[in-house]
Amino acid sequence: MRVDTAISEVQDAELDLAKQLHRVRERHTAEPDVHHLGNTLAHRCEEHVRRLAPFAERYGAPVREPHVGSPRLLDALRRKSGELLGHSELAGPLLLRDLCDLSLAAHEVEIAWVILGQVAQAVRDRELLQVVTTCHEDTRMCEKWLRTRIKQVAPQVLVAG
Amino acid sequence: MADRIADIWGARTPHGADSPWPVRVDQYLAEGVPEGEVQWVPSACVLCSNGCGMDIAVHSGQIVGVRGRASDRVSHGRLGPKGLFGWQANNSPDRLTEPLVRRDGELRPASWDEAMGLVVERSRQVLDEHGPLAMGFYNSGQLFLEDYYTLSLLVRAGIGTPHLDGNTRLCTATADFALKETFGTDGDPGSLRDFDLCDTIFAVGHNIAETQTVLWARILDRLHGPDRPRLVVVDPRRTAVAREADVHLPIRNGTNLALLNGIQHELIANDRVDRAFVDAHTVGFDQLAAIVADYPPERVAEICGVPAEDIRAAARILGSADRLVSTCLQGVYQSHQATASACQVNNINLLRGMIGEPGRTVFQMNGQPTAQNTRETGANGDMTALRNWQNPDHVADLARIWNVDPLQIPTWAPPTHVMQIFRHAETGSIRFLWIVGTNPAVSLPELHRIRSILAQENLFVVVSDAFLNETGHLADVVLPAAVWGEKTGTFTNHDRTVHLSVKAVDPPGQARPDMDIFLDYATRMELKDKDGAPLIPWRTPEECFEAFKRVTAGRPCDYSGLSYEKLRGSPGIQWPCNENAPEGTERLYADHQFNTDTDYCEDYGHDLATGAAHERNDHAALRTNGRAILKSTHYLPPHEAPSEEFPLLYTTGRTVYHWHTRTKSRRAPQLNAAAPEMWVELAAGDAERLGVREGDLVRVESARGAIEARAHVSGVREGVVFAPFHYGYWDLPDGGATDGDPTENGATGDGPGGNGRRRAANELTVTEWDPVSHQPLFKVAAVRVEKVADGGGVPSPAPTTTTARPVSGDAPGTSGGDGVRETVEEAREETR
Repeated sequence: MRVDTAISEVQDAELDLAKQLHRVRERHTAEPDVHHLGNTLAHRCEEHVRRLAPFAERYGAPVREPHVGSPRLLDALRRKSGELLGHSELAGPLLLRDLCDLSLAAHEVEIAWVILGQVAQAVRDRELLQVVTTCHEDTRMCEKWLRTRIKQVAPQVLVAG
Repeated sequence: MADRIADIWGARTPHGADSPWPVRVDQYLAEGVPEGEVQWVPSACVLCSNGCGMDIAVHSGQIVGVRGRASDRVSHGRLGPKGLFGWQANNSPDRLTEPLVRRDGELRPASWDEAMGLVVERSRQVLDEHGPLAMGFYNSGQLFLEDYYTLSLLVRAGIGTPHLDGNTRLCTATADFALKETFGTDGDPGSLRDFDLCDTIFAVGHNIAETQTVLWARILDRLHGPDRPRLVVVDPRRTAVAREADVHLPIRNGTNLALLNGIQHELIANDRVDRAFVDAHTVGFDQLAAIVADYPPERVAEICGVPAEDIRAAARILGSADRLVSTCLQGVYQSHQATASACQVNNINLLRGMIGEPGRTVFQMNGQPTAQNTRETGANGDMTALRNWQNPDHVADLARIWNVDPLQIPTWAPPTHVMQIFRHAETGSIRFLWIVGTNPAVSLPELHRIRSILAQENLFVVVSDAFLNETGHLADVVLPAAVWGEKTGTFTNHDRTVHLSVKAVDPPGQARPDMDIFLDYATRMELKDKDGAPLIPWRTPEECFEAFKRVTAGRPCDYSGLSYEKLRGSPGIQWPCNENAPEGTERLYADHQFNTDTDYCEDYGHDLATGAAHERNDHAALRTNGRAILKSTHYLPPHEAPSEEFPLLYTTGRTVYHWHTRTKSRRAPQLNAAAPEMWVELAAGDAERLGVREGDLVRVESARGAIEARAHVSGVREGVVFAPFHYGYWDLPDGGATDGDPTENGATGDGPGGNGRRRAANELTVTEWDPVSHQPLFKVAAVRVEKVADGGGVPSPAPTTTTARPVSGDAPGTSGGDGVRETVEEAREETR
């Protein structure tokens, strides 16, 4: 049985998405929705990792800890350059690119949840299945938000920009 | 004669639920006007969303006064202070009477030909070089339906850009979205008469006493009548409404959602839910119940900073109501998690099964008089006649009526909201911005940023307005516009009542109605339909109205049964008005069938937490079958919380005597005298800690800027600072004449009256918006306060009559609105 692998896959993908969300939000401080929602969504990813912790223990997966602590030096640099970038004509293309990358990362998380959901059903773990159902829905919403934002920004950047 | 500055709501005419609201006709004529020689022209008031029917007094070609219309269904003859005195702005000597064009850095008088020629030349240039996505239009909540519909067609099908929004984004976008999320389409379900009939009122973030004075007079007449309704009020300030409440919950701003989840927790936990109604007429209950289960009163009390017992008491009142009217406004719409919170107010009425019946409804209130029409015509973030931009059939239908290729109408994404329009201008991808009848240089958040965007070299700014305001000073072309009383048109209030406002006098000088300006632009731009005929076929307001009737037929806001003839001097008629309902419709959803069918709804809905847009399949999966949607989500803390550096919470709002950025009310002597200068309100405890006394000059600072104003020690919640949003710079010495940032021209931190002293509340607000309605946040920011100068015991200029009532009673009372005649008529039967 490789339930531990499926759990680790989700946790790794979530942590990667969280990291990317943090980076992107710091880079786009002049886009308040990206900046603030980026934070909310990143915290959701980290929360998902925590919610899987008891199952990681149950199935013998290695411990994954969300990074906590004060903003790192790199984040501060990114924020500063984000402020400078805010007025630049390059802000749009970079935003579109970052949102697309996030969308791919979110999709990786989403498919990892699909796999874990299948596994949870196969091993008849009702508790795990409940967690998967809620978190999977969150991830789908994150993907959908990215899609909404990409649809809005793409024509402006690629046609008018 | 009454002083309606001192006595804002006028004489009481109490009544019970079993008798109609008595008629009281309010009239104000300028001194010395011979009443017998006055000609009365039917209109309605444009100084709040109530839209009270009124007649305009005309003498010698000038507006000389107003009176309420006794038969009017909205007001039963009453007018508020702004309605009674605000008309004087029309006659102001500093009206714009000719176009202005910027030459060598200065705005100089020009002919219409010259000004429009320049606007068209620049439009063509931008369109040729960058296409329609480089064009932006930002309008108002003050124009008439005919102005908006002309603009909507011009921009959506003519120019073909999604960048068209109204300043209704700042006032009622959340009302619009909350109605769409829950009921499927826009349009308040209830009737103002429901306030006469209810036994319980739930007012959330809605200072009715100052925002809609005639509605508050209506409610006061019940509160002081024989069968007083119970009143639950949520507001961080001790407003006049809160002072009448049975339970007042002065919550921390930004925590509405936690409170409303908590109240629903109590309704469910104590079995105060109409299960039969919920099962038959809603979807989403299980998810809602699962979410609100996490909000027991003790937890909510901690988040919101009010006692758990008061939350329980509020829920008990709402849970035992038989006829519940809930209402909310900016305290919800301009706050954190706006749409999510507004939806919970809808939910409370749905859980109680109280909708679509006399005395049972929810009001997602409007702020501006014609906000409803920007939404209906599609001059803001909506599609014309409550169509769904994601539904290809709706778009095709609109294209058929407009006789254009459906692909010409930009529907690949939701229409762009104003904050995003300004963001595109900031990065240089919008290069042409036409601002119509609104003043973003004072009314948008984080003003330093807004001014710098408007001043950008690569942005061509056109402003049409009645006066040269702060925004006009930053424009490249300024066009003089006619206002209310100077043009004919219709508008619709928050209970869907349509009024016709007839032209009473000519506009001053060369000023023109906005519709005429748009028609001129469309002609000069040679905008055509797909057969080469002029895109906009109408020339007069009435022809435009007839066209709008056709585009609304079969949609929820059906105007097809209305006409100018029917509306002239009428008590007001509520849409839908059509063959089946020739006299209009008092209440929507009387049959508990909601507009949520996937093919009919205006919007497929959103995830309330992120604003992710649902698509057709998501909506279809709900299988609504005409049931309302109980939307829910979790409370999240606001993004900008008080910190060590900025320890206080900041919120902005209105005073009863002013309208928006005072463009009109500053020019009405009685209104201006009642609230002549900026102030900020502090709680007594905070003032004491800061060593600030009433009238002292204080500096309020956020991460974005600082203002100085006299402190008023009031009944605001401890830890909260309140600032009125009306005050800008145009009436300060040199304040409005500075073409750039006022802070760059003069010294900063001058004493009162000094050039360069910043006072606009929005210097401090944050650039952030609700994820669903995209309404900016004006009610949550973190600030610090320090004393700058001693006031010498002279009280602040805050009015003493309303929320800003001083905690110590030694300030002289606000007054000066003499000469209003109030005539109370004997009780009579309701006309409907």
